[in-house]
Amino acid sequence: MPQYEPKAPYVRSRDSAFTMMADMIIAMLPLYFMAFYFYGSRALLLGLASVAAAVISDLACILLEGKTPYFRDISAVVTGMLLPLMMSAATPYYVVVSASVFAIVFVKHVFGGVGQCAFNPAAAGFAFAVSCWPAQVFAYPAPFSAPGAFGSAAEGLSSGPAWNLFQGGVPTNDILDLLLGKFLGPMGLTNIVVLVTCLFYLLFRGAVSWQAPATFFAVMVLAVFLFPRIPETGPMSLVYEATTGMWVFGGIFLLGEPGTLPKRSSSRLLYGALAALFTVLFQRFGQVEQTFAFALLLTNVFGFTLDRGSERLLRRLRRVYIATKTKRSEKKSAQRA
Amino acid sequence: MAGFFTRGIILEQRKEPALRRKLRTFLNANYANMLFESDLPCDGAELFGEEIIEIARLARIIDERDGMFLHEKLEKARQMEAKVLVGDAIDDEPYVSSQLNPLLFLQKEAGEGLRLAAKAVGNPKIYFAIYKNLSDVDLKTKLPKKIEGVEIRRIHGRYPAEFRTMDDFDGQGPTVLVGICSLIHLYRAVYEHRIQSTCFVTVAGRCVANPTNLEVSIGMTPTQLFERCGLAEEPGYVVVGGSMTGEVCPDPDSYLVGTMSRAVLALRDEEKKRRYQCVGCGRCAEVCPENLTPFYINRYIEQGRYEELAFYDIHRCIGCGTCSYICPAKIDIAQNIKQAKAEMAKNRQKKEADENAAV
Repeated sequence: MPQYEPKAPYVRSRDSAFTMMADMIIAMLPLYFMAFYFYGSRALLLGLASVAAAVISDLACILLEGKTPYFRDISAVVTGMLLPLMMSAATPYYVVVSASVFAIVFVKHVFGGVGQCAFNPAAAGFAFAVSCWPAQVFAYPAPFSAPGAFGSAAEGLSSGPAWNLFQGGVPTNDILDLLLGKFLGPMGLTNIVVLVTCLFYLLFRGAVSWQAPATFFAVMVLAVFLFPRIPETGPMSLVYEATTGMWVFGGIFLLGEPGTLPKRSSSRLLYGALAALFTVLFQRFGQVEQTFAFALLLTNVFGFTLDRGSERLLRRLRRVYIATKTKRSEKKSAQRA
Repeated sequence: MAGFFTRGIILEQRKEPALRRKLRTFLNANYANMLFESDLPCDGAELFGEEIIEIARLARIIDERDGMFLHEKLEKARQMEAKVLVGDAIDDEPYVSSQLNPLLFLQKEAGEGLRLAAKAVGNPKIYFAIYKNLSDVDLKTKLPKKIEGVEIRRIHGRYPAEFRTMDDFDGQGPTVLVGICSLIHLYRAVYEHRIQSTCFVTVAGRCVANPTNLEVSIGMTPTQLFERCGLAEEPGYVVVGGSMTGEVCPDPDSYLVGTMSRAVLALRDEEKKRRYQCVGCGRCAEVCPENLTPFYINRYIEQGRYEELAFYDIHRCIGCGTCSYICPAKIDIAQNIKQAKAEMAKNRQKKEADENAAV
């Protein structure tokens, strides 16, 4: 007899929480490769430091809660890998590490750990870093300038095209450079071609559901295309915003975070649209150049409400459907009689 | 096209090689060929509808679909003037083929049985129903379009297909589903006056050497069936009743296989105990065929907040197990829901009893 009691069904899907998280990690590897290509080994070391901080603080929290750690639960690695990608390659190590510790301890474990968090840990960690050290997070080294691997790399940094957009100006970068990711920006967000490939990989693997990204990108593209915030035509505005903004990366990796995403597909559609709406509003009226993380944190709040509303609607529809069905069959039997 | 839009899961059917192999008998000599006494003629053409129902009663035939007596079911169908009678051979669970295999190898008995049942009900339209997505049935056993002149309807769509059968015949008036095995027994009762003393069972699973469909005497034990088919290795655990909704048989030496067993599976104990926490991905809500939200139901059950469950329409759960199948955290959602439902029913009964006592 088995060591534990097996329960129906006795055939199970091969996908597990481990493979889901592993898919996210696999999707992030090309971004790290591009960051390594542009900024040298410091990019990888930042990632390593962040992952180490996340895993250690996750382990500490689990032990403090009196639970047994489980080595197949790698969600902390995902959070740790996401954080440095959103920041400059020259960010000091202490910023990345403290952001990652904040994300795990104060956002993930305070609310009860895996799947229970009310806010997206990675977005909250980024928001924390931006609020505390805006100058360090938004000061970018030039591509191929290879900032020093250790210590601070504060020399020769400047702001990127995202800052120009925020100021209402038109970036002077070459369009091809923008599309290939060769400009001043966060280390993982600039390669739009790689990002879109990642999105297709994640959708194909089912690691990210299609509903929220679909409405999110639809609303974002429409808003950026029809109402550009810079004196440019729609298509050009779209190119500038999509290549320099954090929302493409966020829509792929942060929006679909399973713990905070609503569960019903109808509410997911609304959730994506809401996130896009907040992002656009924050772009117009916000005080920082990358607004997606803040918009997402605000959207997280509505996740449960959307689900509850969707469930209420569904209940009503179900009852109407059953009522009409019984009425029809009654009518038929009456006709027959 | 209907199948494309239905919710549910696509399952690897794993019916081969049991489905292709010839149906074998494995009878207990003491109970074989038990006959009932009756003056009615042994010919279906000479019998009236009421007499067929009477024979079903004498033969004590049980419908393996729902455990109802066949004569009660036919009587009920007769009263409600059923317009469609469907011989149900929809084995949509993996490994199980104990309805489909008898239909393919005992075509005459199944076809004539269905005609007899139709006569008893009052000559409605008759069909056989088979699941469409039998992925591993190859060309050799390519299923015919008609069996004994009766049209075969394929039930489309993803895994829980059996509960959708009624919708396929919706436009034609009241529909009654009867299991194939009980129809075969009806044929034997009419032509040979035999009492139902056997049932059809699939013996399969990773640990079985020769997966086969057997016609066995009621009251055999799983161990005896495994001896008949041979075990390739010591089974991790034994399941009776299908791989999606069946139950673990704690003692295969003394459990008695009956009409409702349908399958006896010897499975390898290869799944390790996983200790994932729910990640909240919501896949259970995506696949639920009843469009429920198992995520919230499970969460409220874990928190013990049973009063919330009515809002999520827990009573509409059909217990198909798709949510547990798809769950990446390997949580036994279906089992939790089943237990919670039982507990809620118990509480309700207790409450009613208290109220009655107070009155």
